[in-house]
Amino acid sequence: MFATRTAALRSLRARRSSLTSHSFLSSLPPPAAMTTANGTKSPSTSQPLLPQAAQSLVDSVDAFLFDCDGVIWKGDKLIEGVPHALQALRSSGKKLVFVTNNSTKSRKQYARKFTSLGLDVSEEEIFSSSFAAAMFLKLRNFPREKKVYVIGEEGILEELKQAGFSCLGGPEDGKKKVELKTNFWFEHDKSVGAVVVGLDQYINYYKLQYATLCIRENPGCLFIATNRDAVGHMTDLQEWPGAGCMVAAVCGSTQKEPIVVGKPSTFLMDFLLERFQIDTTRMCMVGDRLDTDILFGKNAGCKTLLVLSGVTTMSDLQDPSNEIHPDYYASSVSDVVDLSDSLTKGQ
Amino acid sequence: MLMSSGVSDAFLAVSASASSRSPTPPALATGRRLFSALLPPSSSLSSSNRHFGPRRRLGRRSSTMAARAAAQRLENVDELIDSVETFLFDCDGVIWKGDKLIDGVPGTLDMLRSKGKRLVFVTNNSTKSRKQYGKKFETLGLSVTEEEIFASSFAAAAYLKSIDFPKDKKVYVIGEDGILKELELAGYQYLGGPVGAVVVGFDRYFNYYKVQYGTLCVRENPGCLFIATNRDAVTHLTDAQEWAGGGSMVGAICGSTQREPLVVGKPSTFMMDYLANKFGILKSQICMVGDRLDTDILFGQNGGCKTLLVLSGVTSLQMLQSPSNSIQPDFYTNKISDLVTLKAAAV
Repeated sequence: MFATRTAALRSLRARRSSLTSHSFLSSLPPPAAMTTANGTKSPSTSQPLLPQAAQSLVDSVDAFLFDCDGVIWKGDKLIEGVPHALQALRSSGKKLVFVTNNSTKSRKQYARKFTSLGLDVSEEEIFSSSFAAAMFLKLRNFPREKKVYVIGEEGILEELKQAGFSCLGGPEDGKKKVELKTNFWFEHDKSVGAVVVGLDQYINYYKLQYATLCIRENPGCLFIATNRDAVGHMTDLQEWPGAGCMVAAVCGSTQKEPIVVGKPSTFLMDFLLERFQIDTTRMCMVGDRLDTDILFGKNAGCKTLLVLSGVTTMSDLQDPSNEIHPDYYASSVSDVVDLSDSLTKGQ
Repeated sequence: MLMSSGVSDAFLAVSASASSRSPTPPALATGRRLFSALLPPSSSLSSSNRHFGPRRRLGRRSSTMAARAAAQRLENVDELIDSVETFLFDCDGVIWKGDKLIDGVPGTLDMLRSKGKRLVFVTNNSTKSRKQYGKKFETLGLSVTEEEIFASSFAAAAYLKSIDFPKDKKVYVIGEDGILKELELAGYQYLGGPVGAVVVGFDRYFNYYKVQYGTLCVRENPGCLFIATNRDAVTHLTDAQEWAGGGSMVGAICGSTQREPLVVGKPSTFMMDYLANKFGILKSQICMVGDRLDTDILFGQNGGCKTLLVLSGVTSLQMLQSPSNSIQPDFYTNKISDLVTLKAAAV
């Protein structure tokens, strides 16, 4: 894009100074006072990511954990400034990890998506909730003779199969219908020992009934949710219902709560720690959602940065009813790099 | 659902809730952390449920009054019948199962009518309108008029009428014909015009399109109402087995909107208040007869009337007497024809 590296840096500095001079400060107001539970006003504990804060964040962190939807991309469209930001962080020796609740793809499929978008990310750097579900069953020694019923898409099926489990359900059952008439019997496999529920755009009554019967009638059947995100940016233009919808549907008919393996559960953190051997206090979780990304980061003891490029707005963050305060907030991922002195100088 | 103790201790399962607090991770001995604490998942139902009548949580909870005495087996039928002017009957599991009448029902209804008792039928099943239920009663050989039937489909339309919902606003329906017909009768439109209310009930044709439509209306149309006909987890839609109920569809929309609905069906007292007002009867003169503790019996108790549980539907004696059950009807018996046979035996 730029003729020389110098030109690129010059452009960055110009952007950065324009950001600090007016547009940035006006687009990201300082933290508002918040009303506490007993009615007194106290300052919000989240700081905007101003240059000094950005530098201090970069210096204190060895690994950046990124959510994907609303942070790296929206649907199949990259968010502006992301490729450059990731590149700058890698060049300065930071580890990059991608932790996504979107279970529609497996890690392998996500690696392919990254590649198709021109980003160099390997499978080992990706931790999806589809992977989490398979690992949960593996670590629990889920018996191989039992089956898993899936309300979800290809990602979950692929990860389960790769881990050696036999699956039922998935997109195929989206074509099945029920008949509600006298003497009609809805059959379900009694050897199903776990039901895994994630985002499913092919959700229908057949699947709800199948999962309901397994959970209510198969002794000891597990009810696992990849995640419970309410909505997400499944396309670039707008938000769509997330796994939280399908999971709540099954809660509604079984009156049971699931085991959640995706954010904010810190289940995936153990896999991350094993791979990277970095203290969680030297990690920064970057996400767009308070009740999954930021809560995950806080639960795990990481620093947290909320970006406003996804589902959360400034007013959501500052709403008196919000109790989840990230350490920092910024417009988008590129602010980390643009506002950090050492990174813009290419050190 | 909590994980069993046999599992490896490197897990932390926290269900997504904006209000859940993160635990402080254990202090470090080495550069790594293991997450060994287990947290119970928090409830997915917030306390902001709005029903009519006294503030109550949905689910297996009794009223906030002192714990009731255990239910008595029905013996003194005369006493019950004499003390009551109106009998309210649930339908699924009490009058019929699917399209099959339960044994002894016609004779029982005749006997009560001959004693001058008013009969009312209160069903959460929103798939039919009152008129359509009238026809179902007729085909089963029971003479019940439309005015004696209060289905949750009717309740939804009646509720909108009671709040003077504007006729130039549209209602988006996730549900079946019953709701559509009642809305039409009440003069509301479900085609054309901006959506001002989303009504959700049982829907065997449930799919992602409907979820997204309903979700966008609730989240983005200012002041859009979110109304649920009912939240029954499972129901006897056929005589042979239980099926995932309206609670599933409603749960799905709660999951994607993170809002709780206004519930117009049982256990909300909306229909009770409506019919007491319509017929000019005192609540103390009413006996609610149903097969489900967390809808029928809770409805009766919330409404301040007598309650009789029949074991011909979803609830067994074991469930009634289980230590985890806190909803105690005044009486219980096998099926409604006991009102006739026990009476005869006493003579």
